[in-house]
Amino acid sequence: MKYSYFPGCNLKTNSVGFEETAIAVSKKLNAELVEMPEWNCCGTIHTQTTDNLMKRIAPVRNLARAAEHVKNLENSSKEVIHKQVVTLCSMCNSTLKIVNAEVKEDTDKLEPINWQLEYDNLEYKGDMEVKHFLEILRDDIGYETIMESVEKPLKGMRIASYYGCMLLHPEIAKIDDQEAPTVMESIVQALGAEVIDWPFFKFCCGSYHIVGEEDLVNIQVHTLIDAAKKRNANSIIVACPLCRYNLEHEQIELIKNGKMKNSLPIFYFTQLMALALGIKPMKLYHFEEHLVNPKPFLKELGLIGRKKSK
Amino acid sequence: MPFEYIKMDKEALKFIDTIEEISGSNVYLCYDCGKCSSGCAFVYKMDLTVNQVISYIKTGQKEKVLSANSPWVCSSCLTCTVRCPREVDIAAVMEAVREYTLRNEPERLKRIELTDEMKKNLPNIALVGSYRKKSEL
Ligand code: SF4
Ligand code: SF4
Repeated sequence: MKYSYFPGCNLKTNSVGFEETAIAVSKKLNAELVEMPEWNCCGTIHTQTTDNLMKRIAPVRNLARAAEHVKNLENSSKEVIHKQVVTLCSMCNSTLKIVNAEVKEDTDKLEPINWQLEYDNLEYKGDMEVKHFLEILRDDIGYETIMESVEKPLKGMRIASYYGCMLLHPEIAKIDDQEAPTVMESIVQALGAEVIDWPFFKFCCGSYHIVGEEDLVNIQVHTLIDAAKKRNANSIIVACPLCRYNLEHEQIELIKNGKMKNSLPIFYFTQLMALALGIKPMKLYHFEEHLVNPKPFLKELGLIGRKKSK
Repeated sequence: MPFEYIKMDKEALKFIDTIEEISGSNVYLCYDCGKCSSGCAFVYKMDLTVNQVISYIKTGQKEKVLSANSPWVCSSCLTCTVRCPREVDIAAVMEAVREYTLRNEPERLKRIELTDEMKKNLPNIALVGSYRKKSEL
């Protein structure tokens, strides 16, 4: 099985480990993510204004390109490809899903956007579906298969799953129950780690306020990390490059200011999946991108590197 | 201040209309239950709580709404929107207030200096997001 995959900007700049581990995992689970040959910014952080179509051109352009990509994939691989485009970044996922729903519902919106796409010889027919990789893992692959593919269970990891806002909001973009999601937890369980149940799974990290209003983010992260620690988590998983950045960056600030003693490592869920599925080489994980270095933690648990022989 | 006299003049009505038009949401649906405020992660920093913003819009109190910091502290997390029992798209209303301000007073657009460390490490979403939400573009 192959899927048309939309990366988004962050996965090419400072979340390369998210993408590379996801692609490796997808191959191993026979649900290969194939990158769209051409794409642009998803039009991130969807506009909530109703009177501005300009801000909706970028996502529709991507959807039109994804539709072409699905066709080409079908021709070249001779198998049936779902009319879907798969995302990894939760912000891209939400933006694309919202706009897709909007233009499907309202052709008055779609038509003028399609006029703009004429320059690219594109037309969006409203026939695509946007999926997050987590949905593919749950619905198409299944937790059982993931469990069976685990080579190295993540023993010793106690993981708090942090969904952030955009995997669950708004209604048309949610990937799971908005107040009691289970998809990340189920994956954590399948990987052999301990699931930490905590109420802060979608407590906003402060998002784009990191630009210019860092103090807002700082307080959010302090609350989040304290809550995770109190429930005995030793790591957190995320699906958003911005959540990851905020959680790491502010932990460092908190330690610098003496408000916190030690930091929790933050992982993309795909990095931990790759680890449990025994995917190598280590450079795929791009741990160097993380501001809080997760390597000592993983070494201590014996999940990476060889233990020193005595 | 036991009570206050509110004038619902043309200007006030126009303000309500514009906010409803930009946000696509009907603020009159709100019955002031306060659920939006109680679930908002940033309400402690706001000088008007979330449902107060809605309330003041409903009653056309433009100046109070526009001088509040609430829409600028809002992070568009949409928690309020998904929880409102009356299906008011509160986050969209917050955005509409931001847009209203920036469309009428573009000079309120915030200029933020980025340090080298930020330029190197900040995720693209943070930069694009912040200029989309705090600037008219
Ligand atoms: S949750 Fe909805 S109905 Fe309740 S106060 Fe907020 S906007 Fe009004
Ligand atoms: S969208 Fe804004 S107002 Fe609503 S809960 Fe989130 S931060 Fe608060």
